[in-house]
Amino acid sequence: MQYKKDKYRIEVELPGDFNLNAVRLISEQMGDRKELRIDLSKAHFVNSKAIIFMHKLMFGEKQVMVKLKDPPKIFFELLQTLGLHTVWNLDEIVEP
Amino acid sequence: MEAHLLLEARLPMVGSATDFTYKWCVNMGLSRDDATKMALATDEVLTDILLHGYKNESGYIEIWFQYTFSEIEIAIQEKGEPFDPEKHSYNADRAIKYNDFEGAALKTIRKMTDQFLFLNRGKDGKEFRLVKQFTSSHIKDLLPEHLDPEDLDEPEADCDYLLTPATTEDAEDIAKLIYRSYSYTYSKEDLYFPKRIETAIKHEYKFGTIVRTEAGGPAGYFAVIKSTDSMIGEVGEAVVSPNHRGRGLMKKMMNELIKMSKQRGLLGLFGMASTFHIISQKVNDKFGFRSTALIIAKSPQKLYKGMASQASEVVSVVMDFLPLTRLWRKPIILPDEYEDILSEIYAQFTGQNRTIGAETPAFQDPDQTDLGLTINYETQNVLITVKDYGKTFETSCLRLFRSIDELNLNAIYIDLPLKSTRINGAVEWLKEQGFIFSGLMPLFHQEHDFMRMQKIMIETNFDKINTYTELAGKLKSLIKMEYDAVQKR
Repeated sequence: MQYKKDKYRIEVELPGDFNLNAVRLISEQMGDRKELRIDLSKAHFVNSKAIIFMHKLMFGEKQVMVKLKDPPKIFFELLQTLGLHTVWNLDEIVEP
Repeated sequence: MEAHLLLEARLPMVGSATDFTYKWCVNMGLSRDDATKMALATDEVLTDILLHGYKNESGYIEIWFQYTFSEIEIAIQEKGEPFDPEKHSYNADRAIKYNDFEGAALKTIRKMTDQFLFLNRGKDGKEFRLVKQFTSSHIKDLLPEHLDPEDLDEPEADCDYLLTPATTEDAEDIAKLIYRSYSYTYSKEDLYFPKRIETAIKHEYKFGTIVRTEAGGPAGYFAVIKSTDSMIGEVGEAVVSPNHRGRGLMKKMMNELIKMSKQRGLLGLFGMASTFHIISQKVNDKFGFRSTALIIAKSPQKLYKGMASQASEVVSVVMDFLPLTRLWRKPIILPDEYEDILSEIYAQFTGQNRTIGAETPAFQDPDQTDLGLTINYETQNVLITVKDYGKTFETSCLRLFRSIDELNLNAIYIDLPLKSTRINGAVEWLKEQGFIFSGLMPLFHQEHDFMRMQKIMIETNFDKINTYTELAGKLKSLIKMEYDAVQKR
């Protein structure tokens, strides 16, 4: 997993799927940063633990800004399955 | 190609397992989208096992990847701390308001799969089964609209025929043959889907022969479906186009299949002949197949084009067997209860170089019981294969029966290996549980003979079961007597 970090922001390029292992590795690097950008172009899927992780970052006390690059199609389907599509501002979250 | 993974229960292993899952599913014919869904569902199950089953303890997880012509099944087994994923239901409002995401994994798994089963087998572990069906075009959708099956018929003509091995390129013609010959009445749904036929031939799950006219038109098809568990195959999927019947094509194809099976090293062929009529049983008998079992409620309803009468809701089958090796032998151990009928079944195979050994078998009975479970979702029955009897046979069986209790089943079959004297105790106990005799399953698992018992869970009218051979008739009488005795309890 490749990281680019500064004081306020961390950028991650995932080498594979966004699963619990990736969640834990990102959590270890997050610290108090206010912005998380994840490149998902190599991921087949984003699992429920990863969605919960991002949801808690965005809607928890820290209100971290999450940006996703090239999320797989199944991510949108899972977000809808979990009923979170109504509160996630995908226009802001998903980068063109 | 079936696959089996043994994983150390550690988080970094999950990614490797889901990568494999994705690639295996694509190779077996699932679309990339569906393969992704199976990989995600597998990830969710494995992650939950690590979080709730093993926590921080060490252990192993086993994954079986299984293929049938209509679906992919992934079975995940583990022996971690008991947890029941089905007790946790997901609620989106609760998640949004209170950050409570309990049940999110199960919700995801159910959405990503066509069928999800959780089987709690107590001390024998837990099992998760994920099923995804193949989505591909029905032959009807590949033909011009409003085309009647009869419109596909070639005119009857005097012509020579050419038999060639069926290849992936024949898939669409095979589906057309089935459609024109049976309309929608053929019981094996997979044969209406050219892509499924193509995948099965490509991966050598079946091989067959196709008959073509001089002009190249398909006139007949007959195939052997290879067992994934033993070096034997099932003859099935037989079709001759209506305008080409009565010309000996079935005989030519059967002879060709027997030749092809020997070339591939198969030790035997079997046929599951419907008891709705005796036509298939007669054909099998003519080619040297001998009846070894009567399996009740085996197949879904079969209706045959051109036959006015109705079949019962489920159809029973006679198992006919043709050995292709002279080395197949009658085993040393037969259960006392069924020794006579089993000996009679073996005695039909006069051409075999069989001997009944008198020496003590070298096989040592293990402590642990090992049971395999195959669920046939389409026909609503399960097959339990006893790999090892073990001292825990009864408790392991009971746990397994409990775990499948909620399935809406027509029948439970159990195959008992003829290799241990523990079979006597097993037979006695299974009879107490409502199981009755079914017959001999020669070379059926790992090239060994098994005796099948069956528990019938639907009402069965034996008057609708037609048998052709004398032995099949004897099996019917014995099984009916045992069935009636169970009903009177």
